[in-house]
Amino acid sequence: MRTKSLFVALGLVLVLALVVSACAPPATPVSEAPAAEQPAAEQPAAEQPVAEAEPVTITWAFWGSPEEAASHQTVADAFMVEHPEIKIEVWNQPWEDYFTKIQALWASGDSATIPDVAFLWPTPKYAAEGVLENLDSYIKDAGYDLGDYWPGLLESASYQGSVYGFPRDIEVNVLYYNKDLFDAAGVAYPDENWTWDDLQAAAEKLTIKDDSGNTTQYALAMEGGKYAKWVNQNGGGILDDYVNPSKCMMDDPKSVEAITFFADLMNNGYAMRDADLSQAGGDAAVFSSDQAAMIIQNTSRVSAFNAAGKNYDVAVVPIPAGGQRWNGAGGAAWVMSSGSDNKDAAWTFLQWLQSDGGGESLYTDRGEIFPALQSVAESPAFMTDQPPANKQGIIDEAAASGVGGFGYFPEWDELNSSVISPYLESIWAGEANPAEVLPEMCQQANQFLADNGYPK
Amino acid sequence: MTSETAPAELVRSKEKRNLFRWRPDQQWEAYLFIAPSLIGFTVFVFLAVAASLGISALNWGLSGPKGFVGLENYIQLLRDRVFWKAFGNTVFYIVTIVPLQLAIGLAIAVALNTAIRARDTFRMVYFLPVVTTIVAGAIVFRLILSKTGPLAGLVNGLGDLLNLPLAMPDMLGSTKYSKWSVVILTLWKNVGFTMVVYLAALQGVPQELYDAAHVDGASGWQRFRNVTWPLISPTTFFLFILQTIGAFQLFTEPFVMTRGGPAQSSMPVVQYIYDNAFRFTRMGKASAIAWFLFIFIFGFTLVQNIMQRRWVHYETE
Repeated sequence: MRTKSLFVALGLVLVLALVVSACAPPATPVSEAPAAEQPAAEQPAAEQPVAEAEPVTITWAFWGSPEEAASHQTVADAFMVEHPEIKIEVWNQPWEDYFTKIQALWASGDSATIPDVAFLWPTPKYAAEGVLENLDSYIKDAGYDLGDYWPGLLESASYQGSVYGFPRDIEVNVLYYNKDLFDAAGVAYPDENWTWDDLQAAAEKLTIKDDSGNTTQYALAMEGGKYAKWVNQNGGGILDDYVNPSKCMMDDPKSVEAITFFADLMNNGYAMRDADLSQAGGDAAVFSSDQAAMIIQNTSRVSAFNAAGKNYDVAVVPIPAGGQRWNGAGGAAWVMSSGSDNKDAAWTFLQWLQSDGGGESLYTDRGEIFPALQSVAESPAFMTDQPPANKQGIIDEAAASGVGGFGYFPEWDELNSSVISPYLESIWAGEANPAEVLPEMCQQANQFLADNGYPK
Repeated sequence: MTSETAPAELVRSKEKRNLFRWRPDQQWEAYLFIAPSLIGFTVFVFLAVAASLGISALNWGLSGPKGFVGLENYIQLLRDRVFWKAFGNTVFYIVTIVPLQLAIGLAIAVALNTAIRARDTFRMVYFLPVVTTIVAGAIVFRLILSKTGPLAGLVNGLGDLLNLPLAMPDMLGSTKYSKWSVVILTLWKNVGFTMVVYLAALQGVPQELYDAAHVDGASGWQRFRNVTWPLISPTTFFLFILQTIGAFQLFTEPFVMTRGGPAQSSMPVVQYIYDNAFRFTRMGKASAIAWFLFIFIFGFTLVQNIMQRRWVHYETE
């Protein structure tokens, strides 16, 4: 009997030990294993001394499809040719899983699994959580030129006055127009002198409706979320301060006027309603299938339209009479984890990624981004003979970049998705009148700011 | 019967409550057999649930606790407008989905309990959605219910043909109808399960009772109302509790189909938990909402358990 109970106790301990050991981290970090094997394999061919051929391995995290991952891999390969002392290991996840998984890695606090360099958005939120490295001292020591970035762009990757990341690209929203549909409607192509009135007049001619009043060809397709363009062009704003806000500005008459302008384009059937646009597959789909004569979108659509052979060009987005050109400066940024165990190598890589002749030029050359660096935008990497012809229009919009599209404080995402977007969605759906609901929205936004201790 | 010996065993085992004093007559091997599952449950469910109670009293961000806040997370919830909106949506889902699901499931089960042709094929067809991936189903329903989808084409075409003011409402883009889109998808997905359980219950109703009722001159409806309904009431109760809890926990259907929009009109409480935890990195608040939801479901189930005495009829007396 005694031996039996001892046996049972041992069995239970064994099972528990198995469970516990399954949860514990492995004794030797998995990521180091390939790095140790690599030099041995290369040695006979390269005939290099072992000490020199033992590179530092850093993990590079980004989201994207397999095609995008392949493109990032070529950038990593180009870097490793220039810097044989550093080996880049790629950590790739689809967009839907990326943020949940990378948060879990950071939360683990295990430097062996934390990515050293990562692609991230929005940077301030993560900087506030303390998982990102403050880059100020690296920038100072290396004499890295921050003046080459478009105006307002670095703000999107800064927190409490310090730089925590380098935006890879800048979102430049321009007006794409279908030349064939403009010719068919007998409307002159848009140029830099167009105002909102010109846009509205052209929209009326470009819209085609059926007998029952349903639009079959829209003049414009534009995501509702891009509303800040109209608001800032008209001298309005979302918040009074985008880093340390004290109040919502969407109830300002200029903001209300801009939102009303956009809503009326939809209510008149000239522009697609936001929900219809997403149900129809997005602006690229409706522009490609000639369902919309114009779209307002960033430069990411260029390669698809070129591949499809669309007869199109781009122009600056029309501004209200007496208004100003404005582009929201923002883009996902490369950041360094504060938990990285190879910070110097990570910095070398970051700096190379964000340089003329480095990663920026490679991505631009492949037509994947509009570069964050002005020097690259003016280099042959961007100034190609590929459509769109009006590259100067894109540069003009980029030069008008500034803050105003979103907040640079950690709670912005929550404020936007729990208060601002729901109100705007009901406006885009034609269920709410801007002049009536925007003051109510601002009241709640102000309450949210007060609850979270703003202004600080 | 075994039920007569049970009390004696219970009394005996009470005398030896100490689990660590192994006795052969206590069938200690049972512990060994349940050990893997018990340890798994303890580590991955019980400890996680217990931890979430602790987290709900903390200000917990991405990288860990940032301070003790006591009941602050719960108090904040009470005046969180978005939370109450999500809660209202969840209540809407419960009061629509649960009765509709029981009614439609029962109707199909009754119909398929008769000797109609191709009965097994029908049963299979109605049960198919239960084993279909919900994400695939949600995506297909998005296409069907879309303003430019086949259903809209049918409804609008019919309106034109008959010269009637028929028009497909904007099921996904309008705040008025988005919740109904979620209801339709959920019903499609779950009615088959209700049907199968009801079918099993219907087959347990003795034929003699129907024969007796028939002899007494009861009509079809009277036979259903006075024989079938009381005899399957335990099943109805079981399904009612199960579906209510399921409706409280609704997440995937609206998340995939509408992302809770437009304007949060279809966002259930569980999505708000998800948003707070993984988008806004407010783990403390998310845990507090989860516990609030748990207490609510628990209270609701308790009330139902007390109420059941009035309408649930058990055969064994």
